[in-house]
Amino acid sequence: MKKVLKIILATLLFIFIAIQFYQPALNVNKGQVYQTDFAKVYFVPTNVQRILQNACYDCHSNNTKDKWYANIQPMALLMKRHIDDGKAQLNFSEFGSLGSRRQISKVKGMANQIKDDEMPLASYKIMHSNAKLSKKQKKLIVDWMNKTADSLSTIN
Amino acid sequence: MKNIFFSIILLATLAVSCNQSSNKNDNEQANDSTAIAKTQDLSAIQNDTVKAVASKDTPSQEVEKHTAKEQAQNFIITPIVKDYLALKNAFVADNDKAASSAGKQLISTLSKVDMKTIPANKHKQYMDIAEDAKENAEHIGDNAGKIDHQREHFAILSKDVSDLITLFGTTEKLYQDFCPMFNDGKGTIWISEAKAIKNPYYGNKMLTCGSLKKEL
Repeated sequence: MKKVLKIILATLLFIFIAIQFYQPALNVNKGQVYQTDFAKVYFVPTNVQRILQNACYDCHSNNTKDKWYANIQPMALLMKRHIDDGKAQLNFSEFGSLGSRRQISKVKGMANQIKDDEMPLASYKIMHSNAKLSKKQKKLIVDWMNKTADSLSTIN
Repeated sequence: MKNIFFSIILLATLAVSCNQSSNKNDNEQANDSTAIAKTQDLSAIQNDTVKAVASKDTPSQEVEKHTAKEQAQNFIITPIVKDYLALKNAFVADNDKAASSAGKQLISTLSKVDMKTIPANKHKQYMDIAEDAKENAEHIGDNAGKIDHQREHFAILSKDVSDLITLFGTTEKLYQDFCPMFNDGKGTIWISEAKAIKNPYYGNKMLTCGSLKKEL
């Protein structure tokens, strides 16, 4: 019986070591400043921008503030998948490259996702206490986003 | 104890060698995929020649094309509106699954639009609207079971379709209606084929709430 347990443990250890050799590139920029970044395209108040940075930019920009487990599999793979999905939907770093109509839609979409508590993701909030938004914080960014979307809609 | 120690070392070396061999596999796969890409190129060329031949041997078709080109000045948005209305009616009926499939139908209709039929001066505006509409339709298509989320995107989509109608005109009678409650009380529009109010934003809860804004 003890032997079986040892074999199982050894196999698990083996798998754990083996998957460490898979290391895809991390989503980190090297001090690059994006002219298309959301904060460059819009006038974003500092308190709003701080929330966006802390709660959204990890998965929705070209720069993830990595945690210590970012290089350890299988966490790294899970994170990569989330970030790829997140950036496909919304990328703050390249926001300015979207057409104006789509920018408005994205801003409206963000406000809705936050209001409906769909974003930030619950699984993300477990590890990132910064992303747990209070009612006040939510109202602050949702109101600002709605105001921005409305003013953009009237211009166009 | 000794045994375990040795087996771990053995496993570790195995892991390293496995990794190396998997790298080799990657290379092989890369070669394979370039080969596939090449054959795809070939088939693309073949398709092109087939097309060229097809367009060559039917002069009558070319005449047809010409007349079509003249008509192109009034590119018809009817298929897009038709899919939008199906989507709208799914929301009137509170049916998230029907909305999802109507959303997917709209995406395929939008992808089938031949850009050549759209007058050059409206290209940019059309692309702008169509991309946005497609994205909203994708959200509706992917979110069966979350009808609130679908409706949020339907509100943005309605604006897109309304702008399309303004841009290209409509041959059928359509109505632009207004729901004063949606979007945190700021209100939003929808397009309908019938004069009677049937509000798609709250379905059965508030079916007749809303007002006719204008006839299109």
